[in-house]
Amino acid sequence: MRLVHAARARLRLLFARRDAESRMREEFRFHLDMEAERLVREEGLTPPEARRRAVIAFGLAAQHEDAMRDGRGLAWLGGLALDLRLGGRMLVKYPGLTAVGGLAMAFAIWVAAGAFEFTGQVLFPRLPLPDADRVVALERWDAAAGRAQPQALHDFAAWRSDLRSVTELGAYRLAQRNLITADGESLPTEVAEISAAAFRVARARPLLGRALSEADERPDAPAVAVIGHDVWRARFGADSGVVGREVRLGRTPTTVVGVMPEGFAFPVAQSLWVPLRLSPLDYPRGAGPAITIFGRLARGATLDEAQAELTTWGRRAAADFPGTHRHLRPRVMPYAQSVALVDGSALLVTKSSYVFFVMLVVLICGNVALLMFARAATREGEIAVRNSLGATRRRIVAQLFAEALVLGGVAAAVGLGAAGLGVRLLVRAFEAHSGRLPFWFHAGLSPWTVLYAVLLTVLGAAIAGVLPGLKVTRGLQARLRQTAAGAGGLRFGGIWTAVIVAQIAVTLGFPVVAFSVYGGVRGARTMVADFPAAEFLSARIALDREASPGADTSLAAFVARRRATARELERRLHAEPGVVGVTFAERLPRMHHLPHWIEVDSGGAAPQDPRFPGGYRTSSAAVDADYFDVLGVPVRAGRAFHAGDLAPGSRVVIVNESFVRLVLGGRNPIGRHLRYDWRNDESGPLSESAGPAPWYEIVGVVPDLGMSAAADPKVAGFYHPLAADVVVPLHVAVRVRGGDAAAFAPRLRAVAAAVDPTLRVDDVARMDTLSDAGIAFSMFWVRLLGVVSAVAMLLSMAGIYAVMAFTVARRTREIGIRVALGASRRRLVASVFARPLAQVALGVVAGGVLTVLLRDVEEATPAALAGALAYSVFMLGVCLLACIVPTRRALRVEPTVAMRVD
Amino acid sequence: MTTRPPSDALRGSLDLLVLKTLSLQPMHGWGISQRVQQISDGVLEVNQGSLYPALQRLEKAGLVTSAWSTTDHNRRARYYSLTAAGRRALGTELESWRRFAAGLEAVLRTT
Repeated sequence: MRLVHAARARLRLLFARRDAESRMREEFRFHLDMEAERLVREEGLTPPEARRRAVIAFGLAAQHEDAMRDGRGLAWLGGLALDLRLGGRMLVKYPGLTAVGGLAMAFAIWVAAGAFEFTGQVLFPRLPLPDADRVVALERWDAAAGRAQPQALHDFAAWRSDLRSVTELGAYRLAQRNLITADGESLPTEVAEISAAAFRVARARPLLGRALSEADERPDAPAVAVIGHDVWRARFGADSGVVGREVRLGRTPTTVVGVMPEGFAFPVAQSLWVPLRLSPLDYPRGAGPAITIFGRLARGATLDEAQAELTTWGRRAAADFPGTHRHLRPRVMPYAQSVALVDGSALLVTKSSYVFFVMLVVLICGNVALLMFARAATREGEIAVRNSLGATRRRIVAQLFAEALVLGGVAAAVGLGAAGLGVRLLVRAFEAHSGRLPFWFHAGLSPWTVLYAVLLTVLGAAIAGVLPGLKVTRGLQARLRQTAAGAGGLRFGGIWTAVIVAQIAVTLGFPVVAFSVYGGVRGARTMVADFPAAEFLSARIALDREASPGADTSLAAFVARRRATARELERRLHAEPGVVGVTFAERLPRMHHLPHWIEVDSGGAAPQDPRFPGGYRTSSAAVDADYFDVLGVPVRAGRAFHAGDLAPGSRVVIVNESFVRLVLGGRNPIGRHLRYDWRNDESGPLSESAGPAPWYEIVGVVPDLGMSAAADPKVAGFYHPLAADVVVPLHVAVRVRGGDAAAFAPRLRAVAAAVDPTLRVDDVARMDTLSDAGIAFSMFWVRLLGVVSAVAMLLSMAGIYAVMAFTVARRTREIGIRVALGASRRRLVASVFARPLAQVALGVVAGGVLTVLLRDVEEATPAALAGALAYSVFMLGVCLLACIVPTRRALRVEPTVAMRVD
Repeated sequence: MTTRPPSDALRGSLDLLVLKTLSLQPMHGWGISQRVQQISDGVLEVNQGSLYPALQRLEKAGLVTSAWSTTDHNRRARYYSLTAAGRRALGTELESWRRFAAGLEAVLRTT
């Protein structure tokens, strides 16, 4: 009770300071009035005289006010204001420290806040919709299989009519369709087949025309589409007369009935909506297309109530339809959760990255603390005087804290500003690499991020201010006596040695990582493929599985149709003027190829990965029989593929030169065998067939064409023939002689559209620019790492230089005396340099260990190692410089002068 | 006999006097100073300057609480009253004060 009272009184006084002050004056006035009246009444004084006496008796009001402020614990407010002002003055007085320390803290906060914001948006999304927290998603969780079961058409219909706690239920499924406008331009577009309820759930009104309605969902209704703002602008030139215009979606003539406003991309990142016309009657229970179900919580209903209703429903369904519903547990969740961007492991990574960033802040602020400590040490005299004049230790520490807080505050403002920018860049880089992000991603900073940054700033100020403060003020008087007696003053102790060593270690780790990533990216960028890549235009091609109403939708039929379509495309492209070759492949050179683990007959020769005995990490791709021929890639040994290899059951592969070198140790590969090692495989078996993997015979060797978008292009890899019975992603490469291959893009689209309107042509690019998006994304990371490394290095150098120079300078008197006593200069220098050099050496060793832990040793390129070595040498140089300058000065000093140095 | 001076929470006699005065009825600051003077027949004169900080201190410690109210003459004044904690503190502090005073008295008598 007492605590509560006390806390309340304090809080009230703290938050209503101005108010409290005016009340305090009112209280004093009342007292004076009463006293004056008493004096008039009891002692017969005139009112002015009574007033005067009352005031005298009461004493100086201002003093009481001060005393009362002390009583209510507000004094520190006044003190803090003063400290902050002093802190501001210190920033101006020591511009070097302000620049380095401020930059350091701004940098730490920039990185930490940016990462916090981005991961926050991924993990705890906030939908930019009205009443967004009431928008929910519903799913059927298969408890036996441990995953969602999305073939939910029947249940969707039942929920629509049964559920009371969730209203406006709707469903969607996503697809890519060619949007063909009147001018014949055909571009693959993200389409949402979606219930009309979506527009009510999202509370979105169309900019032009109308949204979808329930009437559109009838099977016999005319085909209509609502387009997004960006499609409207890009494909229709923002024409206000677009409503009513006819377009084609694949084969289907469709009428545009509405345009949605900018930013509307429900359900995830779509900008074209057509009615969802799926009927549960067409499919057996638990079968049919996969859909995602959403809705809005009914007025007054909570998520828990909705879940309870669904659970009850689920029990009943499990009893009614044990065949399909026994293991199904219907679930309701906040809407954004239904779009699985990350899984549990990512959450873990994110949490540990928060820890990492806090550590980064701690480390950097430790560095700033070092600087502040060095400065505090030079102010030891001033601090001692203040201490003697009655300033408590707490007071002095508080002032150093306030100085760090001012520095941190400025830094936080800069860092947060940069973080906003960083998040925008990150979102842009991410979207360029892997498509549009869900609509709830935004570029700004959330209040939580700002709060996080503020907390980090206070933490940083505590480290950078309080730590040196405590250190400087500890044993101040004793030290002063010592100094007066001629002994050394303040010393850097073990904790600072640890800080310096950690600094060097971490700053060594950053550039090594950055450098090796950069080396990989540069390798991919500058790799000269052994074929005239600039003469090729490539594209990803895909076909709608549902060809036409009533057609055979089995996998076999689809594969056959796809193959026939590809051959037809090849035939027609060959007929185009300028085209001298057409070929297909699962993946093209310099694209990212999935890694596979393989084993080789009678073992390989190269050192094996200890984690996977007997296995080798390789990449592979399926290519057409004439692939190497069309590309103009020479076969170095053995033979190329021929048409016979395309037959199902063919078991031949062609390896690249890196494979021969890395896996077979340069021995002759022809006639050797390899097979997939599925125990270790990250992507699972290539085909559906189970059992032990079959052996493949190596029949040829080709040069490295690049099998990675960003990492080292020298990847061991091999090629399969593009068998007719396996469905893999398909890319087409067209060789165009004369002129720019990129100029052929419109023809490629036109030819594809003529072959089949559902044939989608995507990612059209000249082959020498392939994977530029991947490289750009990698370059973004490299740049980020580069900035991180550069700043970390700068800080590290500045901190280490300052501290070393300072420690050596503190020994000026000692050095002077030893010179006067005839000490050998060499020994003197050695004694001065021993400790800093040991610290740097220890840091380099620790950094090396850290680097090894961070990356696989085998992945560290010689260039990266050389860079690390150069960096270590550079670091030593800085350290030497930091020692040399003050040492030279100290050696030159006259002993009499040295004695006077404090 | 071991005696113990009043704890730091009650700094000297002033706090004790204030608590004692407030134990009778809620009162404003001026009233407290008058009452102390009255009861002690003018022997104890409360330094008005230290009264308000003392009240503040006691309020911070949760021993008294204050509220604005009107006097009999219809003027706004801040009235202080004892909290339950204050009442308890008064009891223990009075007890220890008495023991302290008795101990002091005993010492003074013998020397």
